Amino acid sequence: MTTPALALAGEAATLSPLALFLQADIVVKVVMVGLLAASVWTWGIIIAFSMRAGGIARKCDAYEKEFWRSEDIDGFYDKRGKDTIPSARIFAAAVAEWRRSTRLRTVDRDGTRDRLSTAMASAVGVEVDALADRLNILATIGAVAPFVGLFGTVWGIMRSFTAIAAQQNSSLAVVAPGIAEALFATAIGLFAAIPAVIAYNRFSHRINRLEASLGRFADGLYATLSRELERD
Amino acid sequence: MDRTEKIGLGVAGAGHVLLFAALSSHWLSVDPLKLDNAPIEISIADDVALRSAAPKIADAPPPPAASSPAPAGQVEPPAPAPTPPAPRVAVPAPVPTPSPKPLPKVQPRPPAPAPAATQPKAKPNPAAPAKPRSPGLKLDTSDWMKPSSGANPQAKPSDGAPASTIGPAQQSALAAEIRRQIKPFWKAPTGADADQLRTTIAVRLARDGALIGDPEVVSTTGQTASNRGQVRLHQEQALKAVRLAAPFQLPPDLYDGWKSFTVNVDRKLSQ
Repeated sequence: MTTPALALAGEAATLSPLALFLQADIVVKVVMVGLLAASVWTWGIIIAFSMRAGGIARKCDAYEKEFWRSEDIDGFYDKRGKDTIPSARIFAAAVAEWRRSTRLRTVDRDGTRDRLSTAMASAVGVEVDALADRLNILATIGAVAPFVGLFGTVWGIMRSFTAIAAQQNSSLAVVAPGIAEALFATAIGLFAAIPAVIAYNRFSHRINRLEASLGRFADGLYATLSRELERD
Repeated sequence: MDRTEKIGLGVAGAGHVLLFAALSSHWLSVDPLKLDNAPIEISIADDVALRSAAPKIADAPPPPAASSPAPAGQVEPPAPAPTPPAPRVAVPAPVPTPSPKPLPKVQPRPPAPAPAATQPKAKPNPAAPAKPRSPGLKLDTSDWMKPSSGANPQAKPSDGAPASTIGPAQQSALAAEIRRQIKPFWKAPTGADADQLRTTIAVRLARDGALIGDPEVVSTTGQTASNRGQVRLHQEQALKAVRLAAPFQLPPDLYDGWKSFTVNVDRKLSQ
């Protein structure tokens, strides 16, 4: 009486991820490996971005505070102008444009303002682009991984049905392992996609915030430099 | 790909390997559903028939029975059985060389003819009651009707059939059959709470299925204030149904099982 139950339990015990992977069809295996690679990549991007963006936001805040406290723009530029954080690069772009424009014999104030504004806006754009470089990968994985997993599942279930047809036997013991391994593909797809989607949304939000904060810094800098132009 | 991305990829890769190793090694894995329903005992409905308590006579009578007529007179029979060595068997005893088979056969042979004649006759008697216990699962009602519709049902059970026991399966089948035969004649009274009444009737039957005496009401359960007026009617209807149902057609070889019984008559019976 108890033998079928025991046999089923033994069967179920072997349904570990590794066993499921090893039993799977080659197509399903490829899908699974691809999705696992996507998942590793996703998490690599998430970790890298968290490390970088967190540090950048903190350093930019500190840098901007320090800048607004200092009285002498040229002196601050000599001291901190070569830093490798976005705010410093924007500041460097502004100062470089300022020096190039004021070196001319007659200073065109409106033209200088335009050039300053454009230079800083493009510097902000460069920084944001560099940060957002990998986010499109997260978006792609988040959108595509479930479908790839679904493809693996459909393929695996097709294979299960073929097995049923071949064995002329539709008992659960024949169908279950194939369907379990097929569903495992969808599981991995979702496993890769869910963090990717969450991370993409969070990181887009963070990049928007960072961009806004850099934009405010650039505006302040522009106002200061514009005022300096009036004084000359 | 800068330094942070390499770190990120390394950490992520290591994390995935750890996670899947943990899942694969049953450390984190989900326990399979524990379907530990206790096995249920079932009893497969048996056909109503005698369970012979007499020793069972082997199905296969002594094998030589078939060939016994021929050898009756001769001692040579081993000859046809095996192969070429046959001629030599003509001198049976002293020749040990041929295959060992012929030898043992020769020895039991002499007593064989005598029992062979009687055994075939003795066999049918005990075998007959055992026959209805065929492996089929359905009630073989066709068998029941034969004896009772025949001239004298007593013939068989009274002829000293081997002792038989009536197992629980037979009893439940008998009860079901009795209810089935009463059912067409039973009309439950209707009224408030009348469906809660259940009348138990004691019945005694003769071998031919006819009533001995009058069926008696043992009790009526399920009486409430609102159906008290229906009780007598219920009992009357129940008695009437039993009377109309007689004579009962029941397997005569199980007479011990139904010569006196009680039957519950209630609303369920009429459904």
